[in-house]
Amino acid sequence: MRRVAIGTVGLLALACAAVVLTAGCGSSGSGTAASPSAGSGRVVNITLWHGDTDYAAKADNVLVAQWNKANPDIHVTALYNGSNDYALQKTLTAIAGGKPPDITYLYGSWAANIVKSPKVVILNDMIAKDSSFNWNDFWPAERLAATVNGKIMGVPALVDNLAIVYNKKLFDRAGLSYPTAQWTWDDFRAAAKKLTIPAQKQFGWGYPADASEDTVWHWEAMLWDYNGDILTPDNKQAAFNSAQGDQALTMLGDMATVDHSIYIDTTNTKIQQTFNNGHIGMMVTGPWDLPSFPNVKFGVQVMPANHQTISGPDNWVILNNGAARVNASWTFIKWFTAAKQQMYYDLQTGALPTRQSQQQQPDFQTYLSKYPGTDLFVKNMGNAVKSRPTIPQYSKISTFLGQAIVSVMLGKSDAKTALDQAAQQTNALLAVPGS
Amino acid sequence: MATPTLIGADRPLDFEALPDKRPRHWPFSPWHLFLIPLSAAMLLPLVWSVITSLETSADAQRFPPVLLPSSLHFENYVHAWNSLPFGHFFLNSFLYAAATVAGNLLFCSLAAYAFARLRFFGSNLVFVLLLVTLMVPFQVVIIPTFLIVRKLGLIDSVGGLIVPNLCGVFGIFLLRQFFLSLPVQLEEAARIDGASRLAILFKIVLPLSAPVLATLAIIQFMWSWNDFLWPLIIITTPQHAPLQLGLSMFQGSHVTQWNLLMAGTVMSQIPMLAVFLFAQRWFIQSIAYTGIKQ
Amino acid sequence: MTLSLAPDSRLRRALGSEHLAGWAFALPAVALIVIFGIVPIVWSAVMSFQANDLVSAPHWVGVANYRALLHDPAFAASVRHTLLYTVIFVPLSVAGAMLVAWALNRKLHGVRFYRLAVFVPVVTSTVATGIIFLWLLDPVFGLVNFFLSKLGIPAQGFLSNPNQALYCIVAMTIWGWLGFDVIIYLAALQGVPHELIEAAEIDGAGKWSSFRSVVLPFLRPATLFLVVWSTISALQLFDEIYVTTRGGPLGSTTVVVFYLYQQAFQFFNGGYAAAIAYVLFLAILVITIIQLKVGGRRIYSNT
Repeated sequence: MRRVAIGTVGLLALACAAVVLTAGCGSSGSGTAASPSAGSGRVVNITLWHGDTDYAAKADNVLVAQWNKANPDIHVTALYNGSNDYALQKTLTAIAGGKPPDITYLYGSWAANIVKSPKVVILNDMIAKDSSFNWNDFWPAERLAATVNGKIMGVPALVDNLAIVYNKKLFDRAGLSYPTAQWTWDDFRAAAKKLTIPAQKQFGWGYPADASEDTVWHWEAMLWDYNGDILTPDNKQAAFNSAQGDQALTMLGDMATVDHSIYIDTTNTKIQQTFNNGHIGMMVTGPWDLPSFPNVKFGVQVMPANHQTISGPDNWVILNNGAARVNASWTFIKWFTAAKQQMYYDLQTGALPTRQSQQQQPDFQTYLSKYPGTDLFVKNMGNAVKSRPTIPQYSKISTFLGQAIVSVMLGKSDAKTALDQAAQQTNALLAVPGS
Repeated sequence: MATPTLIGADRPLDFEALPDKRPRHWPFSPWHLFLIPLSAAMLLPLVWSVITSLETSADAQRFPPVLLPSSLHFENYVHAWNSLPFGHFFLNSFLYAAATVAGNLLFCSLAAYAFARLRFFGSNLVFVLLLVTLMVPFQVVIIPTFLIVRKLGLIDSVGGLIVPNLCGVFGIFLLRQFFLSLPVQLEEAARIDGASRLAILFKIVLPLSAPVLATLAIIQFMWSWNDFLWPLIIITTPQHAPLQLGLSMFQGSHVTQWNLLMAGTVMSQIPMLAVFLFAQRWFIQSIAYTGIKQ
Repeated sequence: MTLSLAPDSRLRRALGSEHLAGWAFALPAVALIVIFGIVPIVWSAVMSFQANDLVSAPHWVGVANYRALLHDPAFAASVRHTLLYTVIFVPLSVAGAMLVAWALNRKLHGVRFYRLAVFVPVVTSTVATGIIFLWLLDPVFGLVNFFLSKLGIPAQGFLSNPNQALYCIVAMTIWGWLGFDVIIYLAALQGVPHELIEAAEIDGAGKWSSFRSVVLPFLRPATLFLVVWSTISALQLFDEIYVTTRGGPLGSTTVVVFYLYQQAFQFFNGGYAAAIAYVLFLAILVITIIQLKVGGRRIYSNT
């Protein structure tokens, strides 16, 4: 999830619907496509949907052309299917219409929604039988996000995480030393306060406050860093209204309403340019934002305290169009997501390595020097040890939390009241069986 | 619901102004004291958007604001044009507006003529049915229309924008009212001379109806050009978006800068503004005549 | 030229059977309107009694959607916001337009320029209006806060403040609609005899009362039209909300049509959204009928 999807919320209804519709028809061998593609000489045509544009689309096309040249028996067609924000809706519509693609790109946050469809190929057996695939080479956060109730529903396609990106010039001017890995949250808050100069419209920290998932996952990283959790381990109850949650949100609220050190963007469209124009000292953001800051000499540092961060991995999901095509898709996606191909893609786009072994690829150093700042984000992958709950209700829980966080930041509520209210809504939602 | 005859289309709208009666010792009319600030307030948003569009991104985000930039950055317009498919936006908007104007002129003329001059089986019932649809707000039909357009395979295409808007009931009413006001003798004479009904419509009725056809064209063009909700619902790919939706996509993208956003906004308003300035009287007359903005 | 008191009959005879021709002429239009007007109206009504996610086969739920609406606090809030917006927007914009039209209806140096200034926003799109006001009202760098700072007033949150956002939307939409209303009033003022207007313009006391008793009755039809029309538009407010606040902050600008849009196209509750649409339709219908009844009576009793 590079950018938070507009349409993520409430898509569970859609997913349920697709299940109902396809329940009767698609039972032929999900996950049982064991036999390797027989060398019968027949060409298997498969289709892959993606939402890449620009450099990313070019990289996709180069790789796919390379594959098609080397593998005459499996022909891959890569199709741009519009913005990724609509990918789940389009995929479900296609499943309902009986003509799904063989492989599609889906946000990690949709894993629990799409996995309800019997059309989704569960990969556990194939991964277990194929030692060359090396599932554990993917980062822990990626594996967690692709796993729903023990079922692996996709292959990691893209990954990111959050870290502190800071403006060196503003730190120098304030006489502050740059953030270190030893920082506590109090250090963070004190620095933000010192960086705030109201007369010059300068702020310590920029925070997206449109109550979307973007608002929420920034805070969830803080929550984890405070040793809190989103839900109880069985995913049955809210856990964010704990003492740790209260602490994390109180700090955010105090920075916003007492220190006034936060640039609060309720539209979530203005932080990047405001940082780039030198009005914000620190942002908590991911590698995708770095190209938007050409005017700033920036540094990158891990999160304060326990360094816990959050990651939003996305997946390639294989859909069942018969055993032959499932086999072909699996063969292709194994190659497509292998370290060498992935390294090529990352080199072209600046995306983070999805596999840990990419750090041994010959091009890795070229990649780091081509994209300054990404080295820390690569290292920071090791700090992404938790995953947001992979349950279909998450998108709704996110809207409850979004309202709670923004109401505290705007001084409309205190942390405890806001979190308790969100917890009440969350528990009511989770109590509905099968929702 | 609109009462479409507040003023006749045939009547020139000059706003025959009253003589200015100022108090004896005033050097100028006191009305200026009201109208100057008012005009400033009305023009300020547009002027400010033009100024911002010519500033650097850093100058745009300065406080106090840079009211008069020291240098003008016209390259912002190039950057804005290149950062999203603005060429597509303009083309799509133009296709959308042109096709719906053409469709409405043709289909509404045909139907309006039938309802004004021909007695055919079920015509009264059909006419009442049409009248009912005029009272229903767009929000009521939007979801089924979305499903119908999806069935037709027109989602995410300019065709999907155009097809549901090819013929509006409003246009039929507008034209029918006007046709009814035309003297019937000319048509009769032509009919006796053996002209077909189609020929009568195109050679006699429509040429006499130029003002009302222009009104319909202007209103429909403005409506399609500024339409937002319907494109928002069916278009997902930037290349297929018309201008207003494209502009909002531009605004929603996180990397947007105020100066570029204003450049895009100004660009998007130029065609309509130019047409308005060029044909101000027609616009005003059309609005006054039909009482419809959207 | 033949004179005919019953032109229709002569013409009809000349035309012979008109059934075929009539239908041939009307068919394309009627087909389009049936497919994209009548069918959706009926379908929408049916849908409001269904659970329909726009993807899979719908099923019947009876009046459950309507019953849920009654207990939905988010819907109640959206109704409150819509009514508040309408109650402020309609009188302000209509009365303001009457004043401005009255001012502009005279020979004055620069009056053409003044009129242009008032009319230009009419052709500015709602999206552009939203974006420009978002910038003018920016809480940190906005021009309006700069003017306020000159007056010694502290910076306001405007669209990012839940207590102010809806009023900012009112101001923004008045800017966009004023010219339209003024055009209607200027047109209506052309129908008022000059002597009457001049009488109302004469200096001294009683100016307002003579305006009210002499000129106002002539403007009543235009006023009624504008009140009805503005109310309908206000109840359907959407574009400006989508562009500026997306219903926020904290839901403070979530109006009915925005809520409907969210339900239909973000949460895929098609049936629920259809129920909202029908409630909106009924509300518009009832309010319009009341306005026409009350307003119409006043027109007839006063002229």
